[in-house]
Amino acid sequence: MSDPVVVDRVTKRFAGHTAVNAFSLTVPRGIIYGLLGPNGAGKTTSIRMILDIIEPDEGVVQLFGQLGGGRALSARIGYLPEERGLYRKMRVLDVLVFLAEMKGVERRAAKAKALGWLERLGLADWRLRRIDELSKGMQQKVQFISTLLHEPELVVLDEPFAGLDPVNAKVLKETVLELRRRGVTILFSTHIMEQAEKLCDELCIIARGRKLVDGSLSEIKRTHAGRHLVVGFDGSAGGAQQVFADMRLVKKVDDYGQYAELELAPGADAQDILQQLVASGARLSKFELQEPSLHSIFVDMVGPEAARPAVSSDVEGAGA
Amino acid sequence: MRKVWAVIRREFVERVRSKWFWVSAALGPVFLAALVFLPILFARSGGRARIVVVDGTATSFGVRVADSLRFTPVFNVMARSAPRPGLLDSLTQEVTARTLDGFLVLTAETVETGVAEYRASNVSSQREISELKGVLARSALNARLERAGVSPDVVSRATLQVDLRTKKISGSKTSGESSAQSFSLAFIMSILLFMTIVAYGVNVMSSVLEEKTTRVVEVLVSSIRPFQLMLGKILGVGSVSIVQFLIWGISARILLTQRAALSGGVSVENGGSGLEWPQVSAATIAVFLSYFFGGFLFYSAMLAAVGAMSSNEQEARQAQQPVIFLLMMAYLSIWAISSDPQSTYSVAISLIPFTSPIAMPVRWAASMVTTTELVTSFALLILGIAAVTWVAARIYRVGILMTGKRPSIRELARWVRA
Repeated sequence: MSDPVVVDRVTKRFAGHTAVNAFSLTVPRGIIYGLLGPNGAGKTTSIRMILDIIEPDEGVVQLFGQLGGGRALSARIGYLPEERGLYRKMRVLDVLVFLAEMKGVERRAAKAKALGWLERLGLADWRLRRIDELSKGMQQKVQFISTLLHEPELVVLDEPFAGLDPVNAKVLKETVLELRRRGVTILFSTHIMEQAEKLCDELCIIARGRKLVDGSLSEIKRTHAGRHLVVGFDGSAGGAQQVFADMRLVKKVDDYGQYAELELAPGADAQDILQQLVASGARLSKFELQEPSLHSIFVDMVGPEAARPAVSSDVEGAGA
Repeated sequence: MRKVWAVIRREFVERVRSKWFWVSAALGPVFLAALVFLPILFARSGGRARIVVVDGTATSFGVRVADSLRFTPVFNVMARSAPRPGLLDSLTQEVTARTLDGFLVLTAETVETGVAEYRASNVSSQREISELKGVLARSALNARLERAGVSPDVVSRATLQVDLRTKKISGSKTSGESSAQSFSLAFIMSILLFMTIVAYGVNVMSSVLEEKTTRVVEVLVSSIRPFQLMLGKILGVGSVSIVQFLIWGISARILLTQRAALSGGVSVENGGSGLEWPQVSAATIAVFLSYFFGGFLFYSAMLAAVGAMSSNEQEARQAQQPVIFLLMMAYLSIWAISSDPQSTYSVAISLIPFTSPIAMPVRWAASMVTTTELVTSFALLILGIAAVTWVAARIYRVGILMTGKRPSIRELARWVRA
């Protein structure tokens, strides 16, 4: 069976800039796939192109091996956009039935499924209430339901954890894991690396509209392993600072006095640093080569300006 | 197609469920009832002007005038008094005190010169003045003829009243609509068309805007084409307006057929004097409804685009102004049309799609419209709808996903070309 999502060198330009540049991506079936990037990297634009909400200027998107575009296959896709909202004046049940109908579910079936979901998430008593009578947390739950009601094979979540209260974040995390168990493919975007690290089987890091790296989490970690070093001192740091300042050995240092995190310079050997530190008279309590966190890999690749958007755009639709 | 149907149903059900729908459904008949019954009420309560005839004639002329006035539905002759010093002053005081509405002064010369005087608190009532003039003219004519030796019998036959019935010719057939009816029909039509096109068009706009501000639209356009979504909205809101018209139409029918009974036996002929109630032919209803839906589609497509390019209510209200002005132009021109329905101006605005939805039904009601004109106008309107919908759909498609500042005309043009 073909991969649920294959993006082949798509490019999207907006008025002043290129939001997504020759971007490719393959999401295999049945995994949790993370699309990682700072704000303004082109995540939302990529997702919108995958879902056929906007058309790419160049390149093609294949879903389930078909070229037809996401709209034609929308019955098999669930989508939770970054900016959330529901019809404020509509009743909960009516909203769910309507959105399911948009996905091609027959009206009566939609109603039965919606009631089941409301029951499961403890909202059954609210089914005839208007959306604007619900608390924010309840509205978030209703929106999850609307994303999953039609039992999609592919679920696309844009920044799903943004703005969630802790209870709902947990509900969402468990739901995502449950979906994977049932063989559903999940593609989600985030700029919070800790979440991606815990959830993703595979991921792709994107910045300024370009892909920087992709692959499985363990693979990416392995290729970036051994470059990070944690050093702890026992009282005297000796001449450690001179060692850290040596550009041939150390690329970057985060020095806390009694504790330091180092990134090795290209080609440098951790053993050289150890020898030099001992020679400088430093008393070491800790010397450890670390598996890098996704966060540090991310910062490495994207650079210190990662937090800032690539282009300040007046078109918000082109952002993220 | 099933998805478009779901959009139509949602728009329809949500709107019909709202209390505003029922408020306006109820206000229509209330407004109509006011139009029907207020003139009757006014006619009943002191609708007849209380007057005194000051008879300075030596002949039976004064008596004749007073008697004739009594037979009119307009006047109530309280007394006929011979002139005496101070009479005019005391009558003036009575008018000031509102125990009397006016008095008519006839002198011995009135028959010869035709000069009489009417002093009253209100001399601007067309109905009273024309009635008064008619009675005086007829009475003076009778008196003069009799004085010339013509037998009263001949006089009464010669002065038999002429009743001019005006009937509008539409196409080759004569309709049952009179000219006064035509005007009131045209007038009511233009108000109805203007108000409902604006009200329901703005409904489409705010519906687009709601989906945009709540971002529901992003989920929607991932499963339905923007054009289908826009179409569903317009048709959904349009079908609400049909139901509204049905409610109004049925209640109007009940009110009009039952008004004699409802108004407690007051003679309808004399009572319903404010606006004459039109005899509406099937052709007129067809023209009215066709242009209403044409106009609604034309303007609601434009307003859907306005909703799509705005990001909040205030912006949308500003951006809708030019669109409403276009329609307002047609509305304001109904006076020009009804005074000269065949002028170049009237014909032109009944052909242009921006104004024809109001102008053509008004012209149709007020005068004769050739089949060629009607067909041309409607064909142009349909072409206009197609063009406007095409442009609106392109603006809509891009606009619904945009937030932030409103696009400039140049950007809009780019959206349309894209």
